[in-house]
Amino acid sequence: MERPIAYDKLAREDRLVRMRARDVAQLKIEQGLPPFPDLLSRDAIKERVHGIMVGELQAMEGAGRSVYDFPDAPWEFTLDMARQVWDESRHVEIYIRLLEHMGGYIGEFPETTILWRCACAEDAAARVAGVNRGLEGLACDVFNQLVHIARKMGDPILERAVDYVLADEITHVRMGSKWLTRLTEGDPERRRRAIEFQETIDERFNLGGIRREGPHEVVPISIATEARREGGFTDEEIARLIKTTQRSAVY
Amino acid sequence: MPSPLAGHLDVDASAKTVRHYRYAVERMMRILGGWIALTPELSAKLLMGRHVWDSAQHADAWGKRLPELRARAQVSEPAGPGLVAFLDAVEAAERPEQTIERLVAIYRVLKPHLLAVYEAHLASANAVYEPPTCRILAHCIADERRHVAAGEAILRHLLRTPAQQERARACEARLWALLEAAGGVTGAGPVTRAGVGAVPAAVPLSDDAAQFIQLEESTAPWPLAPELEQALHAFGAALTAGDPAAARRWLAPEVTPGPDLDRHLRAVAGCRPQIVACARLGAQRLIKLRLDGAHEAVTLLLRWVPTGSEWRVAAFEPGSASAVQPA
Repeated sequence: MERPIAYDKLAREDRLVRMRARDVAQLKIEQGLPPFPDLLSRDAIKERVHGIMVGELQAMEGAGRSVYDFPDAPWEFTLDMARQVWDESRHVEIYIRLLEHMGGYIGEFPETTILWRCACAEDAAARVAGVNRGLEGLACDVFNQLVHIARKMGDPILERAVDYVLADEITHVRMGSKWLTRLTEGDPERRRRAIEFQETIDERFNLGGIRREGPHEVVPISIATEARREGGFTDEEIARLIKTTQRSAVY
Repeated sequence: MPSPLAGHLDVDASAKTVRHYRYAVERMMRILGGWIALTPELSAKLLMGRHVWDSAQHADAWGKRLPELRARAQVSEPAGPGLVAFLDAVEAAERPEQTIERLVAIYRVLKPHLLAVYEAHLASANAVYEPPTCRILAHCIADERRHVAAGEAILRHLLRTPAQQERARACEARLWALLEAAGGVTGAGPVTRAGVGAVPAAVPLSDDAAQFIQLEESTAPWPLAPELEQALHAFGAALTAGDPAAARRWLAPEVTPGPDLDRHLRAVAGCRPQIVACARLGAQRLIKLRLDGAHEAVTLLLRWVPTGSEWRVAAFEPGSASAVQPA
């Protein structure tokens, strides 16, 4: 099997429509819509849930590739990645059922591969930094906020299910923090490159100011400080992330 | 009457057998992990996703058993070059349209064989000094039995035509011959496989194949506005009639079809288009039409935009259809 695989090799059923994220955003802006679904209506939340569902699909595929792509990594690393495959495959099911709960269906919105593109680092340390700390950190932000919004909406199904997923994601961030340290022990250059890769992902998913510090009801994606801390982010790292969001275009 | 302390494997042979098991299980686990991204069908994707972790735990349990047998922990060892060749052949099925081959390799060949080997080992293990191995075997047997049953259910769901069933049979025969030539996962033969019979389902262990199939079939009728439905019907009729000029009437003025379009349309002339996807993009709709010609299957991705009371195609992209028909 090829190692690693390109983004266009992701195999999909016909019912999913794949588009570049920038094209989706552009076509929405042309219609006077926000490029990223907000949380102001049930329909917008449904669109976000769909985006998370395809993100979980790609996360399952990505963790599977980490099991395959790094046969020489420590066995415990492979075990953690295999566990993550299982978690993500359950998350796919959870979000499909949440989508149905919200009256949606698989393929109702286009799938973008921006997450997957970020997950294809060839070095295991860079991949866990980018995926488990960058992308799963983003997942903590998004899910933490969704739990809060669901509670406010009075939707216990959404609240409970997403809270379980959030607990798993914190575990995945923790795995990322652990493996970033262990895989780069005695190799500061490798660590620097891995962190740099993670930071490019963090920057990209600040989404031009969409992710920032602030109340759940006010900002489109609020930074989940506490969940990030539980996952092994240091206070300094969290402060640096918040600072980068303040450099973005909307400020 | 044989002594209760009689056994069939000494410590070193036991460690070697464990390393052979670990090789087969570890490699199967890595292959399954790699295949998830290459497999289009949701049911098969989820099945593999669930079983990667179980297999990793089996490999881990075998690997941890090794130091208890005076051997190095977490070491895998193939029984011989024949087994390596067999697993190379398993791994080769990586094209998206080879899901049947992937599932047959794992769920009709390798796992039923592993199950038979584990059961035979458990039946002959010494009950006095081998319980640590027996416990691992019992755990793996329970999991493998469940896996084989779930894989078989997904395969039955995916094997819809006689041609697909024939493909499955051919693949099974080819791989089985390789496994026999290798002497099985231990290299010692005889190479057998176990049936699973009824699988007790008392605990929710998250690999219920019926649920995966239900998720794959869950798409509701496409929610189309009546005007869009009419436009799609007329556009589809033009394609069916092999009339590109009539089809072009539905294109927005700024759309210029590429040189490939006419060629694709000629190849599928007379086919009835089928809507296989309908995505929302604000007020616009992304519709995928699948056209199955005698020699070519084409998918057209169309972006429809409302223009007053009518709909027009603002962009389209022809491509080869995937092997996966909507469930």
